[in-house]
Amino acid sequence: MRDARSFDDFYRGTSRRMMRYGYAVTGDHTEAQDVVQEAFARAWRQWGRLAEHPAPEAWLRLVVSRLANDRWRHLHRWRVLLSRSGPPPTAPPPGEDAVLLVGALRQLPPAQRQALALHYLFDLPVEEIAREADVPVGTVKSWLSRGRSRLAALLPDVHIDELEANDVS
Amino acid sequence: MSAEISDLYRSLTVSADEVTVARPEVVRRHADRQARVRMAGSALAVAVLLGGVAVGGRLAFSADGSAPLPPPAGAPAPIPSGVTPTPTPGPSASSAAGSSGPTPSRTTPGDTRPATPTGAATAHPPTSIPDRAFFVLAAANRTGLESTAGGPILPPLCDARYASESAVVQRRARSIAYKTPEAPAGSVPAGSYRHSITIYRPGRADDAIRELRQAVRACPEQKMPDDSRTWRQRLLDPGVYGDESVLFELRSPYPPGMGDPGAYEVRLVRAFRVDDVVTVLWEQGWEYTAAERAQVDADSRRAVAAIENWLG
Repeated sequence: MRDARSFDDFYRGTSRRMMRYGYAVTGDHTEAQDVVQEAFARAWRQWGRLAEHPAPEAWLRLVVSRLANDRWRHLHRWRVLLSRSGPPPTAPPPGEDAVLLVGALRQLPPAQRQALALHYLFDLPVEEIAREADVPVGTVKSWLSRGRSRLAALLPDVHIDELEANDVS
Repeated sequence: MSAEISDLYRSLTVSADEVTVARPEVVRRHADRQARVRMAGSALAVAVLLGGVAVGGRLAFSADGSAPLPPPAGAPAPIPSGVTPTPTPGPSASSAAGSSGPTPSRTTPGDTRPATPTGAATAHPPTSIPDRAFFVLAAANRTGLESTAGGPILPPLCDARYASESAVVQRRARSIAYKTPEAPAGSVPAGSYRHSITIYRPGRADDAIRELRQAVRACPEQKMPDDSRTWRQRLLDPGVYGDESVLFELRSPYPPGMGDPGAYEVRLVRAFRVDDVVTVLWEQGWEYTAAERAQVDADSRRAVAAIENWLG
């Protein structure tokens, strides 16, 4: 039995954060909307079990990441996709800094984008990112380090902070 | 400008917060509607099985043989030049593998008819691949999404290398997305193919088929890059496609959140040879859909017809 009220509460409490995360990993408002909505749709279809999950938001982030990665791969391969799938829904123009960051993130591999988003948007420690991505801690450190280095190269006017203590512990 | 990267992420957050999010009841309705559509598809498949209705003279089963599937749209037919949309695939610089090939094996358990030796049937072997060599999807399956972007033409198979690559005369490849017949235009595709056509030097195309078959046998399971799951590969009965063919599946449990609980992500790859030309149809899915055997079979028949029409 799925409880709509608890799902709606969960949705209201997490959909904003999930949109931010979706935007950070897809780099596109419309893509983020699609991916986040699909992730919540999957959550609702499994809500009977997911409501008992110890970390449903982490589960949701995982689904968003996977959908975004899969879509990202397709977009790389399918250069004509956007031009043939009709105009996207109206979205407000993003801020200049957001444009800069998203443009740079688009040039990073999906795993690095995901790790950086989890770190900067959710303030997750390396160990938790590793658990969520199902990879060793060292791999996450490498993703963060390489991601920052790449961002530093792509955004020369931006100060890229050094690895923090909790990143390398 | 001097800013911290965390400042940029804050700006990204502000930008993301300006995007409207749907109301939860809308998301629930959308999810339930999706589920009903899937249920309707399954019910149709069961009806086909119980009714004993043959599809194109045979019952069609999914890759694991566990459940019948609704027939794909239309039957393959010769493609009249200039009437149906013409695919425009570009040349693919990518190759399937490197230079060292596996041990040759002449056993071909899946072949169901005597194979024509390569190089024997064509008086003037082709040296270039025209657009018409590429099949056109059935009208009800078309999405209009087609790409000539580069990329591999085969999935990795435990670092297999194919010696026959040295005999490639020309190769062209494309990616093409399809939808289910019942899905309205503009729907998210049901799957996609990586579709390649390769001309080999006379007498070498059967090496390519044999090497591929051997590579699947030699790689019963593997890990893929950026994927913690274990994928299992196995040869399937290839049916009759061209002079000879290979069909194999790649199968792995869905990662959490994808597919139904206990379900498998299945990819199907069919390679068939007509004379000195090998066509590969690699079903790559779309956002974690699983390959449907009936759809792949139908599109394979279209692919064979296009090649045979081209080669005459």
